[in-house]
Amino acid sequence: MTAEVEVIEKKEIPSGAAMLFGFPDVGLVGVIAASHLVSELNLTEVAYMDSRLLPPLIVLHEGLPHSPIRIFGNHDILLAVSETAISADTIRPIMHALIDWGRNKRVRKMVSMSGIPVQDRQDIKKLKVFAAASNSEVLKTVQDKGVEVLKEGYMVGPQAIMMQYCVKKDIPAITLLAQCFFNYPDPEAAAELLKELTNITKIKVDVSNLLEKGEEIRLRARDIMRRTRQEMSKMKKTQEYDIPLYVS
Amino acid sequence: MSTRRKRSIFEIINEYFENLEEWTERLREASIEKPSWNHRACTMEPLRDIMVTPTEVIVTVDLPFAEENTIMVKPVGRDTIEILAKMKRKIRLNDFGITHYKGEFHTLHCRTRIPVPVYTDKMEVHFKKGILEIHLSRKHENEV
Repeated sequence: MTAEVEVIEKKEIPSGAAMLFGFPDVGLVGVIAASHLVSELNLTEVAYMDSRLLPPLIVLHEGLPHSPIRIFGNHDILLAVSETAISADTIRPIMHALIDWGRNKRVRKMVSMSGIPVQDRQDIKKLKVFAAASNSEVLKTVQDKGVEVLKEGYMVGPQAIMMQYCVKKDIPAITLLAQCFFNYPDPEAAAELLKELTNITKIKVDVSNLLEKGEEIRLRARDIMRRTRQEMSKMKKTQEYDIPLYVS
Repeated sequence: MSTRRKRSIFEIINEYFENLEEWTERLREASIEKPSWNHRACTMEPLRDIMVTPTEVIVTVDLPFAEENTIMVKPVGRDTIEILAKMKRKIRLNDFGITHYKGEFHTLHCRTRIPVPVYTDKMEVHFKKGILEIHLSRKHENEV
């Protein structure tokens, strides 16, 4: 684990869990999905991150301080979630530290939850969820479940680092990307992503409450979306719209 | 012994523009460091986005809880539009668990500067899935 980032455990960590990631990105899909998982599955905080790379802030809940990056869990799931936008230049060490920690806990697979921006999002009736995987075997398991594969394109942000590092460390990893707004919080996209998560894992979650509270979430999430936009601009997130030159 | 290479005028100009760009970016960021709500006006500021195409400018605004029939889009001067919408219900900061600030909000409100000349008197407005979309035709060079 990189010394500049430390994961501090609060509870006993289960071995062989699935590790999920929900970080601020387009449409805040990952964060909204993670937040819903925490409340629906009654996940509790099992660890948190401390690092000089993080901004000098804490999050207060019920008057008590918490790290902006925490890991929630139960016997079968570990869920890393960030309540603050992460600056482009610190994403790499933060993701590496979380993955190294998960590897030490013998997680069976890693799944990052995020979005893929789509133009004219408000005109789309049924949002698609795409997947990418760390190797062809994992990709096949996802395809066998009927999830559409993101065949060609660029991926920018925490999920890109996660995928790259999991390949290097030979950890089975999947990235789920729901079509979403680029700049606006998208609870509907988060709900579609969670349905696909249920499809490819044993994690069962009801999304009706998430859809019901959609407008409230969009209102609440304006500030974190605004700060995430600033970081996305620095990491050139719009490159995801680019057409790659195929190099075999 | 290292020798210092004399920089060309192009390199100096390039560096100047890079610095200027960075400074502008910082200024832009600093200018948005304010709360996204105004307790005196009882308004919340919605998220918005601008896209400039060769023929038009498209402004989108995320308006959660907006009452569709109360949405107003009006020009303010030649390069700014103002957007107002009543909310379906009053929202209190307390509803979000915030108790150290007081605030009760019933309106979404923002002003947006349009970066290129447009006809602000001719607007096409759509509202779908909580997103307001405003189309403004661009002025051609000879019309500015």
